Amino acid sequence: MGHGEKGRPSKKQKSSAKDDHRNTIAEDEDAYMVEEFNDDYRDGEKEGKKNDYTKLELKPDHANRPLWACADGRIFLETFSPLYKQAYDFLIAIAEPVCRPESMHEYNLTPHSLYAAVSVGLETETIIAVLNKLSKTKLPKEMINFIHASTANYGKVKLVLKKNRYFVESPFPEVLKTLLRDEAIARARISPEGSQGGDGFTISKAMGEIEGGHDGLLNQAELAAAAEEKETHSFEVDPSQVENVKQRCLPNALNYPMLEEYDFRNDTVNPDLDMELKPQAQPRPYQEKSLSKMFGNGRARSGIIVLPCGAGKSLVGVSAACRIRKSCLCLATNAVSVDQWAFQFKLWSTIRDEQICRFTSDSKERFRGNAGVVVTTYNMVAFGGKRSEESEKIIEEIRNREWGLLLMDEVHVVPAHMFRKVISITKSHCKLGLTATLVREDERITDLNFLIGPKLYEANWLDLVKGGFIANVQCAEVWCPMTKEFFAEYLKKENSKKKQALYVMNPNKFRACEFLIRFHEQQRGDKIIVFADNLFALTEYAMKLRKPMIYGATSHIERTKILEAFKTSRDVNTVFLSKVGDNSIDIPEANVIIQISSHAGSRRQEAQRLGRILRAKGRLQDRMAGGKEEYNAFFYSLVSTDTHEMYYSTKRQQFLIDQGYSFKVITSLPPPDSGADLSYHRLEDQLALLGKVLSAGDDAVGLEQLEEDTDDIALQKARRYTGSMTAMSGANGMVYMEYNTGRRHPGQGQMKNKPKDPSKRHYLFKKRFV
Amino acid sequence: MPQVRIIAKNFMDMVASLPAVKLDKLYDNTFICEAILRSLPPLAKKYVLEMLYIDSPITAKSMEEWVLADGFSKHRVAIDRLIQLRVFTETVDRKKETTYRLNPTFQTNLQKHLIHGGVLPRESMPSNITVRLPSLEDLEAEALEQWECFLLHLISSAHAERLTNFSSSMMKVFQRGLLSQRDKEAPRLTVNGFQFLLMDTNAQLWYIIREYISNSEERGVDPADLISFLLELSFHVTGEAYNMNTLNEVQRNANQGPCRLGLGQTSAGVASTILGRKESWFIPTKLATNLSVSLSDSSSRKQGFVVVETNFRLYAYSTSKLHCEILRLFSRIEYQLPNLIVCAITKESLYNAFENGITAEQIISFLQQNAHPRVAERMPSVPENVTDQIRLWESDLNRIEMTPSHLYDGFPSREVFEGACDFARECNALLWEDSKKMRLVVKGEIHTEMRKHLQNQK
Repeated sequence: MGHGEKGRPSKKQKSSAKDDHRNTIAEDEDAYMVEEFNDDYRDGEKEGKKNDYTKLELKPDHANRPLWACADGRIFLETFSPLYKQAYDFLIAIAEPVCRPESMHEYNLTPHSLYAAVSVGLETETIIAVLNKLSKTKLPKEMINFIHASTANYGKVKLVLKKNRYFVESPFPEVLKTLLRDEAIARARISPEGSQGGDGFTISKAMGEIEGGHDGLLNQAELAAAAEEKETHSFEVDPSQVENVKQRCLPNALNYPMLEEYDFRNDTVNPDLDMELKPQAQPRPYQEKSLSKMFGNGRARSGIIVLPCGAGKSLVGVSAACRIRKSCLCLATNAVSVDQWAFQFKLWSTIRDEQICRFTSDSKERFRGNAGVVVTTYNMVAFGGKRSEESEKIIEEIRNREWGLLLMDEVHVVPAHMFRKVISITKSHCKLGLTATLVREDERITDLNFLIGPKLYEANWLDLVKGGFIANVQCAEVWCPMTKEFFAEYLKKENSKKKQALYVMNPNKFRACEFLIRFHEQQRGDKIIVFADNLFALTEYAMKLRKPMIYGATSHIERTKILEAFKTSRDVNTVFLSKVGDNSIDIPEANVIIQISSHAGSRRQEAQRLGRILRAKGRLQDRMAGGKEEYNAFFYSLVSTDTHEMYYSTKRQQFLIDQGYSFKVITSLPPPDSGADLSYHRLEDQLALLGKVLSAGDDAVGLEQLEEDTDDIALQKARRYTGSMTAMSGANGMVYMEYNTGRRHPGQGQMKNKPKDPSKRHYLFKKRFV
Repeated sequence: MPQVRIIAKNFMDMVASLPAVKLDKLYDNTFICEAILRSLPPLAKKYVLEMLYIDSPITAKSMEEWVLADGFSKHRVAIDRLIQLRVFTETVDRKKETTYRLNPTFQTNLQKHLIHGGVLPRESMPSNITVRLPSLEDLEAEALEQWECFLLHLISSAHAERLTNFSSSMMKVFQRGLLSQRDKEAPRLTVNGFQFLLMDTNAQLWYIIREYISNSEERGVDPADLISFLLELSFHVTGEAYNMNTLNEVQRNANQGPCRLGLGQTSAGVASTILGRKESWFIPTKLATNLSVSLSDSSSRKQGFVVVETNFRLYAYSTSKLHCEILRLFSRIEYQLPNLIVCAITKESLYNAFENGITAEQIISFLQQNAHPRVAERMPSVPENVTDQIRLWESDLNRIEMTPSHLYDGFPSREVFEGACDFARECNALLWEDSKKMRLVVKGEIHTEMRKHLQNQK
């Protein structure tokens, strides 16, 4: 069959090869993977007979049916079809969206997506029947075979935690027998007392699927079949062996991946947590839908829900916790978002203050009572080093408790080994992962499928924009020509390490940035975030423009202060963020993003940054189509032309473009008449800047390397630790002298001690925030 | 070989370009008079009708008084057109006063036609003979198929599955200018050929008809006869069968030519012939009745089929091989489904197109003109970011300017080198100098002067 199947093993190989190097090579995961992994449909697929499906037979009433299905798993969906809504819901359950612009969507059937489909309760025959009904052509044989082959083993076996006993459950006794033939599983089995002969499986009735999504398409008979109660067979396994059993069932072993379900209603062992959604918390239709996928059969499924940033992921998380009503462990990426999660819990649910606690390096709270919610970071849980006595106690408690729900935020940023660690430490009945962008340049995203569970739901960005649920963003790529002098230096071989600094510090880019800030601050009264990955540029820009900035080494307190000022003060309308701001810093006020430098070709970063301004602003009717403001948020990406940045920029935008966003290219910023109003008008100034860039040490002008901080997740493990601050302060006599002393030896050079002494703070921030 | 210029001229322009004698001869036919009248711009039509029964010339001055000041440009256009077609004759008398009057033949014929009506030289055949007459849809489908087949054949004879009715010599005539062939190599489309394919069908059709007519003299056929036949055709009823025997030889040949080919599309198509058992007849297609109508008329345009998305993906609702070939000119075809072609517009595919001489504007206007009705109402029908990007990619190619030039090095001394530099600078021809290695590049045009200068130095 087409690349759907063929493509996978090779990818596997590649990623496993990478795994081996993971700990030895300082890899820049996002930057360079891109070049190796082209998107599956963009790589040099040869035209030709392979994709010629003209022989497929069109059905006579094809005009009324919304989709085409190709033998290689690709599906095309017309969005203007009257059946679009039903078809979309169905496709999103069984296939992976490739791109979803306005008129025509593309999806790919993959083994993973079919696994997800099966896990939300769709059966092989149903998938084929509905697909056939929606298709304009007769389904290609290859596709039918593919669905059969992929779903044959999926969803046949479930791991259920009932009354604190683990059961392996299946409607097919023969499958269970197959499993028990495996030595490891046989050993893990706990035989029920007094079992005589036979297979000794416990037989019970499970509640049928209560799902009404496709009723329009299914005929009555099929529906009745789906709702019928099914007999299930099960055997119990030793709780200590559960991980082993799961391991044995993975595709690389027995290939019966287990679905995990939690029958929380019948869980009498774990105490209930008294909390429910407040009446004013009204989940939106797509939030409801995602929850219904999770709780489709009265039990809680583990899996991942994908919603764009700003579309209300936290409400989904809180709602899930409220339905399960058991203790909940919520994992976030950093301390700021821990605070935000705690706040969200209090905002949406009736949870009492003493039932929720935060566990970070700065705040070590403990909840009272026998059930509650703990919000902490991945790092706090996975931290391997020595802990303080107090946190040791708390972590012990986390380890020993049986969690009803493990709620994981931003799962796309967390490396797989971190998950393994977290999941092995915490015992949970149900895992829910939340993310906006299920893309990683290194394809490690597929690991999540088996570590957490399949993707349960993915919303369509454009539909949410149309519904007014998220902001309608005007994306623009601003082309800034390199000045002659900068470009000459850029081309020199000896400056190869400074290339990035040169194209980021391009005076034309600076002027464009300054112009945009001025325009949006003064003309529209907008709140602006400026993103720069390059610390040298970040400080240079922020200081020249006299704006506050936040980067890796900024303390939690100071961050909170700056963000608070940004939210409330009228004088602080622009904030400069390094990549610490990419994820989960919630700044709902901001509606303009200017990106001056970025992490190479990372599609995820681009999407996450856009997400900072997606939260819908203004009144609903103004945002809707034809409303007062067509665009109420702006995303500018400043690119120096003729440099590597152009290439990266195309790569980066791919994810958003696939979601239906379009980037407008602006070539004339700043306007030619702006002249001396903006900085670096005079050649001398430009040359001075160039001198600064050139005289800075190579390491100073590179990317920011985030320190492994106890409350900042290691976005990148095992990196080149360049100590980016040093040369800058040393070489140029700038104000960042203090970091020179804070620097450790390269190799372990992490700055664990955050500079907290206010006297050492930069004057700009000292004045404002201390 | 004459250079073929591709302009979407319409049929009437061609009529107008006939020599005066031939034009006058055309007006002997009352039907042609009416056809001409129909084709005129509204104001010109009004003038003709107003002056139909006036036998004396009218001064230009008094005619100018008929229009308001802001309508003057339209007046000018109308008058020019009328004179071009020799419907008006212009005389300048001794007082240098210009007067106009209707062409007398045209006038009497049109008068007659108005009073008595006209009878076609042939009538449609009774329906009992033409039992197996195709329906209008069939006819159009047939015409469409014929036309595509013809175009495919034109691009490359390898593509055409079945033979067209054109003789290969005729085909060569059409192909010239569109294809270029070097010895033993497969013919390649020329710049004009690419542009031709991107034109809309009407424009293509006119190109072919024009070629056909302008070539008629080589074949010993009077172009006027052809034109007159084509005009006459426009009074036949679409889809009805007419007996071939009523045609004279020239006409029959014409029918065998592009007409028989079914130069047809939904809006176009001259005629197709079907051999009956004993008698043969021909059936005019839609084009026949539209011949005299101005072709810029967009109402007759066929439905679009292309959807372009913001992610540079292009979906073409088409079963046509020809469309596939056209799309391949500037995009990468990824999937071909029974009634859909999925392509991606990429930088590489566009560069390929630009190299072949297709311009960004042509691609964009092709996409816009053929926009699927679903997106046609949307403004813009092709996403702005895509059109912008296509233009940007094109302009990217134009950033480098080539100047023929010469590099000089190996100067014996710095003095000579600097002298040469100064000399080049004086001539305003110095492009680049490297004083360290004593090299310089100078515009090619002063190479001889430069050499002289250097020789003198020695």
